[in-house]
Amino acid sequence: MGFDPHEPEQRSRLVKALAVADITAGELWLRYFSLSGCAGEYEVQAYLEGLLSLPAGQRDLLAMAANELIEETPEALLDDKPPLLAPYGDQLNGATGDSWEQGNSSPPA
Amino acid sequence: MNYLSLDDLTAAVARIRGLLLTQEKVDNAVALLAQAIKESTPGAAGTGVSLLDWAGRQTSSSFTDVLVKQADTAQYELGEGPCLTAWAAEDVVLVDDVQADGRWPAWTSAVAALPIRSVVSAPLLAGKEAIGALKIYSALPGQFDANSGRVLSLFAGTAATLLAHIQGKETPQRMTEELKATLASRDTINRACGISMERHGMSQDQALQRMIRDARDAGASLGRISEKLITKVPPAER
Repeated sequence: MGFDPHEPEQRSRLVKALAVADITAGELWLRYFSLSGCAGEYEVQAYLEGLLSLPAGQRDLLAMAANELIEETPEALLDDKPPLLAPYGDQLNGATGDSWEQGNSSPPA
Repeated sequence: MNYLSLDDLTAAVARIRGLLLTQEKVDNAVALLAQAIKESTPGAAGTGVSLLDWAGRQTSSSFTDVLVKQADTAQYELGEGPCLTAWAAEDVVLVDDVQADGRWPAWTSAVAALPIRSVVSAPLLAGKEAIGALKIYSALPGQFDANSGRVLSLFAGTAATLLAHIQGKETPQRMTEELKATLASRDTINRACGISMERHGMSQDQALQRMIRDARDAGASLGRISEKLITKVPPAER
């Protein structure tokens, strides 16, 4: 998918985090749009389905939008356990979405 | 100077998100509903569906027969009649014989010439709100009983749930606040991005990356970081 070898990992881990927090593509897009995101709703949907490639900056913005929404969910506010967050470009490690990403981990050397 | 109308934008976003259906679809759904009720009710001379706004004004309606239209128009013009009562009382209204019923004298005399003798009307209840009424007219007296009322209520319950979503007239108003906040946030972030680009001689992409990085490091939202950037006095003017 695309030129960036990290894209599938970032996408699948985003999809997984959205599923866990029960956030729809429409909700994600609206928040991403409010954060100055420039891809349309259908493009975002296609990206989530692995049908379209997005630039690295827009992928990080989607991750940020998702994480803002995830941190606002009642579960995230009530639970002691850190929620499953969407990874940023510098947090990718070759995993395919099965590992628990806890955000703000240091970038790989 | 072109200003974007917030109403237009709201409708556009609502449509994008599939929240609004067009007026044509409302009319079509309402017409199909009226036809379905007529075909499943023996002895029905005609049926109709009316959607009403909060003040009891008709916003959309459909009839299977002209006589329903005549009887309904009289109701809304006179401000009284079985369907308005069903809508206002949020209960099924049964009329055994229109000519012997004393509840709506003006309407009774208005429809005296029409072949309408018995009526059953059920409110369309969406949640706690009455959004209109279904009605069946018959040319003979005593055609309907509590059972017809119950069957009509079953129709009304399902129909109201669907129609409440189709209506959509107030959906834009409800969405306006969310959209306003969305656009305000987008403006703030874009402005902050522009300030960063100018201040640090960066591309838009780099500026956004830097702001995302700052937000992550500070554990703050991108909106919060942008607000701080905008309010901060630039070094040159200090």
